Amino acid sequence: MGTLHFKIATPEKVVYEKDIFQVSIPTTMGEITILPHHIPLVSVLQTGEMRVKDAEGEHLIAIAGGFMEVRGKNEVVVLASNAELETEIDLDRAEKARQAAIDQMARAKAGEDIDFARLQATVDREMNRLKIARKYRKLPPPKEN
Amino acid sequence: MAVNTKAIKRRIKSVGNTKKITKAMEMVAGAKMRKAVESAINTRTYATLAWDLLVKLSKQQKVKLPLLQVRQVKKLLVVLITSNRGLCGSFNANIIRKTAEQLNNPVNIGRQRAKNGHLEPVKDLAIDVIGVGKKGADFARKMKYNLIASFSEFSDTPKLDDIWPISKMVLEEYEKKNYDKVIVAYTDFKSAITQTAKLRQVLPISEVDLEKMLRDLGEHGDDATDIAVVEPKLEIDEYLFEPNAQTVLSIILPKLVETQIYQATLESAASEHSARMMAMRNASDAARDMIKELNLNFNKARQAAITQEIAEIAGGAAALG
Repeated sequence: MGTLHFKIATPEKVVYEKDIFQVSIPTTMGEITILPHHIPLVSVLQTGEMRVKDAEGEHLIAIAGGFMEVRGKNEVVVLASNAELETEIDLDRAEKARQAAIDQMARAKAGEDIDFARLQATVDREMNRLKIARKYRKLPPPKEN
Repeated sequence: MAVNTKAIKRRIKSVGNTKKITKAMEMVAGAKMRKAVESAINTRTYATLAWDLLVKLSKQQKVKLPLLQVRQVKKLLVVLITSNRGLCGSFNANIIRKTAEQLNNPVNIGRQRAKNGHLEPVKDLAIDVIGVGKKGADFARKMKYNLIASFSEFSDTPKLDDIWPISKMVLEEYEKKNYDKVIVAYTDFKSAITQTAKLRQVLPISEVDLEKMLRDLGEHGDDATDIAVVEPKLEIDEYLFEPNAQTVLSIILPKLVETQIYQATLESAASEHSARMMAMRNASDAARDMIKELNLNFNKARQAAITQEIAEIAGGAAALG
């Protein structure tokens, strides 16, 4: 069946690099699954969870923003603004970050000059991290508010 | 003589204290440098891959996006990256001198370079500055450049989110056509001993400058990715774009600018810490030499005092006898 050489890079570091069997990626056009021998493709990512199947089993990776490229020769590259493996997500920190962003949003509504779209993206991103971390730890999903 | 030895002793102690401080600062800077260098290297993969993709995309079609537009330069923006604190040798002096040199020659710096000829800037070119780090902002103020913003709240290893305000400001101003060219002045980290001050164009996105920046990245660090291999192995027509190439590009381009500024900040941070480390090491060495010399002087003075005392006693005994 063959494998894909898969790499996730963020501006801060290379998060994951391995040979894998398949990967499901959330894009703006909906979720797509890449299998070996996929044709070359470039697509834009959405905040969400990416599922990777490698020799060890399935991994969940929280990603936010960026783009992906399937190259020839079974190479897949994901360039995300943020990416985190399920095992690396710090629940408390994610919750705090989300709360901080929500607070800021409340202030933005009160008329302060803050970049609203950016804040919404932060809230979504942290929510996504929470969801994935809780899924991994077999906890009930976080409450929306 | 007794007074002399006392003074020397006090001096030795004070130099010793200074040495302790510089030694500690050297070690702190060393640890920070390692961290900063690591994050600078980690960014390289992303920058290389993003650039790689851009090259492929631009080969496929000539898209008209504002960030790629080359305009005649009427207003220029310089992002000057320096440190917040001093005691780092000639780090700030170098980057400031280099920037001042270039700014004094506006025709050269404002020229738009392209493969098919140059576009000269207008005569009365205006220059604005964004200061990153206190020292750069101070310089801009002193030299009466128009300082439109100053950022100095960075940690030693900035995160991408930290520099977001800068890149956002730069991108917005450029898209509004308030500026026709944006340049980043930063210090490129080559090794712990060598750092070079550099100016790079970030907007409009030009192949020449991006390639240069990436090549610089490749020069140092052992895990430098092979930048020479940007030639796509496949015909670009075979690529599928979702939703379409235009959308993909409009997302990649700002990211690329952001990454470039981020990279420059990280390189500068790494340079700053290594410059400080070297400066502090030199200071510690100088203090050590000084202590050695003072010790010698102290011993001489002590010996002289003893000799004199003996001579006095002997003289006294001879007078009695």
